Amino acid sequence: MAEDTVERFERQVLPYLDDAYTLARYLLHDEHDAQDAVQDAALKAFRHFGSFRQGDGRAWLLTIVRNSCYDWHKSHKMDRATVSLGDDAEAVADPRYVDDPAVQGSDRERVRAAVDALPAELREVIVLRELNDLSYREIAAVVGVPIGTVMSRLSRARERLAAALGDDSRRAG
Amino acid sequence: MTCADCQKSLGALVDEELPAGEVARVEEHLANCPECAAAHQRLLDTSAQLKGDLMRYKAPDVLKARIRATLTEPAREEKPRPMVLHATGSTRRWMRPLAAAAAIAIVSSGLTFAAMRDRAPASAVQNEVLASHIRSLMPGHLTDVASNDQHNVKPWFNGRVNLSPDVPRLDSLGFPLVGGRVDYIDGHNVATIVYTRRQHVINVFVWPSTDRSDTPPEVSSSNGYNLIHVRRGGEEIWLVSDLNLAELRTFSALVIPRG
Repeated sequence: MAEDTVERFERQVLPYLDDAYTLARYLLHDEHDAQDAVQDAALKAFRHFGSFRQGDGRAWLLTIVRNSCYDWHKSHKMDRATVSLGDDAEAVADPRYVDDPAVQGSDRERVRAAVDALPAELREVIVLRELNDLSYREIAAVVGVPIGTVMSRLSRARERLAAALGDDSRRAG
Repeated sequence: MTCADCQKSLGALVDEELPAGEVARVEEHLANCPECAAAHQRLLDTSAQLKGDLMRYKAPDVLKARIRATLTEPAREEKPRPMVLHATGSTRRWMRPLAAAAAIAIVSSGLTFAAMRDRAPASAVQNEVLASHIRSLMPGHLTDVASNDQHNVKPWFNGRVNLSPDVPRLDSLGFPLVGGRVDYIDGHNVATIVYTRRQHVINVFVWPSTDRSDTPPEVSSSNGYNLIHVRRGGEEIWLVSDLNLAELRTFSALVIPRG
């Protein structure tokens, strides 16, 4: 592989790893799975980088990450039971993960729980829209559905979230 | 415009995806319909709450390091370097491209040992140290004993390696201890002590040396990683990290005993 291909890939695609990892964390939950899926996606993206012309490297990478996450979920669901305790112990003791702002503040926890409770097809459009800031057209390309479907899924997702969060605040108040 | 038409367009309005002509019509309706205006406000609030409260993750440096390592790996196939991979229960799919290179590397490192029984040349040791560092960044490989307490980590090495490494606690100086593990480098069981700096992992490799002479710190960099090597008091000590060199030097001054 020519060195400049690596450089071009690093410049055009790798800046979006944070977006990619964010999407993976919401689709797979487990941080190790998310890392593996993103790594898998990055490698696939690199192999197919030749077919990527000019355009939005972010939407392109997110498309591959999304597919990797679903593949990962399918092929590793059975493995979950065999995950060693060592992995879990490390995740707890490893200070890299302790300063995760997600564990701070009950508002964040509430919103996170509501999003996690959504079915995957609604969760992914919410994450792509609200966190990745993708346009309807880009979301349609990433998910592989018409724009109208994107709009109706977003609408359903927000209705459910508004209801869930509204209930919570009434209970709290 | 009917309320039903208006409600259908609210999502696109909030997302700024509504055509300009439509925006005016919907806003006119909202100005005159409290019910639709309330629905609009609710959508705005929900969206703002999601944007504000939902966590955006940063890809950990260890993930970036793993990706960087796999990107550059195919280019090195014709010139393999020692790369020891542990076969974990489920072979991770992304390891496959490494496997071929690793197979060649294991054979060739065996030949290296056969050719130089005493000590592999410095550059070969450096490659082994770097390979151990990169392998440690793969999920589940960082530590065999995970603890931020030096009183757990130091005794854990008893009977596993041929020395009792210093395990200073440097949390207050911004280098929290993560744990330890045993690696195999240059024909030795090696004590590896793991620290972090922000998102960066620092591996400290220590093993007994047959050479009693001390060497000054020797700095090198390879593949985006910085390495510092010192021989001090009969111990070979290597520090490896993708941390910047200035901070790695600071760390080195803290962990390496003064001769």
